[in-house]
Amino acid sequence: MVEKGKIDSTQAILLNITMIFATALLSVPAITATHARQDAWLSSLLATLLALPVAWLTAKLASLFPGKILIEYPEAILGRWAGKILGLLYLLWFIQICSIMVREFGDFMVNAFIPETPIVVVNIIAIAIAAYIITQGLEVMARVNQVFLPLILFSIVLIFVLATPEMDLRRLLPVWESGAMHIFKGALAPLAWYGEISTFAMIVPFLVRPGEARRIALISVVAVGLIFAFLVVGSLAVFGPGIAAMAYPVLNVTRVINIANVIERMDPFIVAVWITGGYIKIAFFYYVIVLGSARWLKLCDFRPLVLPVGVILAALSIMAGDNSLEIFHFIGDVWPFYALFTFEFAIPLGLLVIALFTGRGKDKP
Amino acid sequence: MILFKKPRRPKGTNSRAKDQNPAGGNRETTEQPVQNLLLSTDIESNLKQLKGIFKNCSDVVFREFLFAQREQIKLALVYTDGLVDKTLVSEQIMKALALNVPMATDNMEITRNNALHYVKMRGLCVHQVQETGKIQDVVDAVLSGDTVLMVDGHAIALINGSRGWEARSVADSITETVVRGPRESFVETLRINTSMLRRKIKNPNLKIETLKLGEVTKTELALVYIKGIVNEGLVHEVKDRLSRIKIDGVLESGYIEELIRDHPYSPFATMAHTDRPDRVAANLLEGRVAILVDGTPVALTVPYLFIEAIQTPDDYYEQFLFASAIRVLRVIFLVIALTLPSLYIAIISFHPEMLPTPLLMSIAAQREAVPFPVFVEAFFMEVAFEIIREAGIRLPRPVGQAVSIVAALIIGQAAVQAGLVAGATIIVVALTAMASFTVYYSGSITLRLLRFPLMFLSASLGLLGLISGIVIIVVHLAGMRSFGVPYLAPVAPTIQGDLKDSAVRLPWWSMRRRPHLIGQNDQRREIPGLKPEPPRPGRR
Repeated sequence: MVEKGKIDSTQAILLNITMIFATALLSVPAITATHARQDAWLSSLLATLLALPVAWLTAKLASLFPGKILIEYPEAILGRWAGKILGLLYLLWFIQICSIMVREFGDFMVNAFIPETPIVVVNIIAIAIAAYIITQGLEVMARVNQVFLPLILFSIVLIFVLATPEMDLRRLLPVWESGAMHIFKGALAPLAWYGEISTFAMIVPFLVRPGEARRIALISVVAVGLIFAFLVVGSLAVFGPGIAAMAYPVLNVTRVINIANVIERMDPFIVAVWITGGYIKIAFFYYVIVLGSARWLKLCDFRPLVLPVGVILAALSIMAGDNSLEIFHFIGDVWPFYALFTFEFAIPLGLLVIALFTGRGKDKP
Repeated sequence: MILFKKPRRPKGTNSRAKDQNPAGGNRETTEQPVQNLLLSTDIESNLKQLKGIFKNCSDVVFREFLFAQREQIKLALVYTDGLVDKTLVSEQIMKALALNVPMATDNMEITRNNALHYVKMRGLCVHQVQETGKIQDVVDAVLSGDTVLMVDGHAIALINGSRGWEARSVADSITETVVRGPRESFVETLRINTSMLRRKIKNPNLKIETLKLGEVTKTELALVYIKGIVNEGLVHEVKDRLSRIKIDGVLESGYIEELIRDHPYSPFATMAHTDRPDRVAANLLEGRVAILVDGTPVALTVPYLFIEAIQTPDDYYEQFLFASAIRVLRVIFLVIALTLPSLYIAIISFHPEMLPTPLLMSIAAQREAVPFPVFVEAFFMEVAFEIIREAGIRLPRPVGQAVSIVAALIIGQAAVQAGLVAGATIIVVALTAMASFTVYYSGSITLRLLRFPLMFLSASLGLLGLISGIVIIVVHLAGMRSFGVPYLAPVAPTIQGDLKDSAVRLPWWSMRRRPHLIGQNDQRREIPGLKPEPPRPGRR
């Protein structure tokens, strides 16, 4: 067994929330608002609804193949060779999104926080800390998340409470101005993020009660959807549709806080708390990569892979784009279609259909 | 005032020196392994043997006398002067045997063959008597403060419990003082310590197992637990780890701690040490195991969780709202003690925009004359504070005032006036120092140690470095276990019931269960419905 630890359902839900949410709070509200303007909050709720099938699909596949992880389903469904190749593609995809995540994190830190530090330093630190987390195993990652996620959520509630003097809910009016098509377009970016729930299938066998996978996936998506809608509503109430032009709207909300000239410029403090979420998110995907590779190569331990994968991630995170605008463009315009119509939704759907038709997998519907 | 006996190696049992040079030539009389020797029926040869073993041990006393009942029977007492209760030896043993107190009933004749029986059954007025036939037991008993009585013609010696040495009397706890609650603390004598626990827990299920560790010192250890509450696996684990120890001496419980703890390289303690009997008793009631070591007032309890660093005994005695408020404060103090200097460095040198403008101006004005970067400044002040603290512990009591004056005047005031240090830095360092005293002492040492790397990190990377350092610490903590229990429980993994006694302390009537992972054997602490309520009209 590659991973010996077990996590309980609460830990899994919290881990899923961090896994999706930690980078979603950076630029996704802006991307959504680009299309849907002040109806961005409707987009985020729509995305939550649309993400439920993805979550259901993930859990369904997991329940068909108990004890297997996501990259092993193709092998069980399509046979050895095709399955191995598809599994490898999944691993490469995880490497790609993880390196983009690292880059996004580094860009955010450098743009908003420590402008004089080279981004490669930030990326390497993030990867090093993530590597330390995953060498300790899944259990420890879940526990670390249990310590920090409440702080992150608390910090978000705190900034919106402190920003209430700046809020005006009339900025959300008029509702439905942009029309259904734009609202749907706006929903794609958050949907691609919520679609990351399919990664959860990589750790289902390590749950104490794998039978609860469906409940966990659905609760995670709904929780993230609600938190995200809260963020979007809050940012819109402060800035209106103008958030579309911002790189990090939620961060800008913290910047306008000024209470009695004492509580002001809270942003470094808040960012500091979010950094922890970024570390855990990177660690989670990093973990998925090394765990999946170890299972794909039939190794008995994933730890020897941590260093080489880390080096690859660090290099790719720099090569992912020439500058942060390029990354923004990729995340905003390419990523949603790319992710949803390949690994997040389309391929799992295809796998499920084939599995159901050929009758592979444990329980028959 | 205190007769503070520094435990020394008993000089007589130089068995270790012997093992080391078996070829070493001119050794005298007794030098074959004492372990296997048996007493003989001839008292003279026994005495000769023992005198050989205790050669040059001026504190071991041999007292030979004749049995009052039958003058031809010789008796001998062996004991260590200073370790025995002298009145007991002379009044209850010597007087009873050497003076003419009739023992045998008329028709019974005392002979060489049944003398031992009479001595034991009717002669000795001692509360605790054991028989032994081994020289080794005799030697151990003599060195532990018992008195050994040998009767001519018998290959059996009687060990009389007569321990009574000068000991420090029970005093107030020095390391953990409380406002409300018992004041007493453990002392250096194991038996007194176990008696304090027994007085608190009057239950036959309170088990006190003793064992000896230290091949030279033969230090007594007591393994204390409450059968029925404790998890048997834990007791086994502790015994197992203790049984692996082979060391020459155990002078303090710290030896044991380092030899059996989990994560030996971690700066965080994985075993609690305390000198308060009430703390140990409370831990025992939660299902923990305590290890008491003779010769030290510091007891160990396992498993130890991180959360215990902010728990004090009087939290459980004070009203719960007050106790909870203090605990929340202590959590904040803990964070301050760990991070405040680093936060200060990070903000001043990387993120000055975080400060409100007037405050920023004021600090900038103070720092204008300071020739050092803020990291160097804060680092030096932290080092200065560590010097003061260490001096305060080491120096002789009468000089104490001098240090505090020097520290307050020179470091505090003169450094600021000379423009070497900004006033704000002093405030930060002082606050940090005060905050670190509010957590449990062993925890505060760890905080002291970790503060410096965090300062380095935040001086090089700002808040990113500080947060990275904290994440590393939390990951380290989350990966730790103390005797099988996750170190960060009940926070991570979250155990909802146990959160009642974490950063807050809910009233006793609501803490119905013992800690989930520790008191597994018997979870129920009290019956439900203990909440005091006014009598309801409908119910009697």
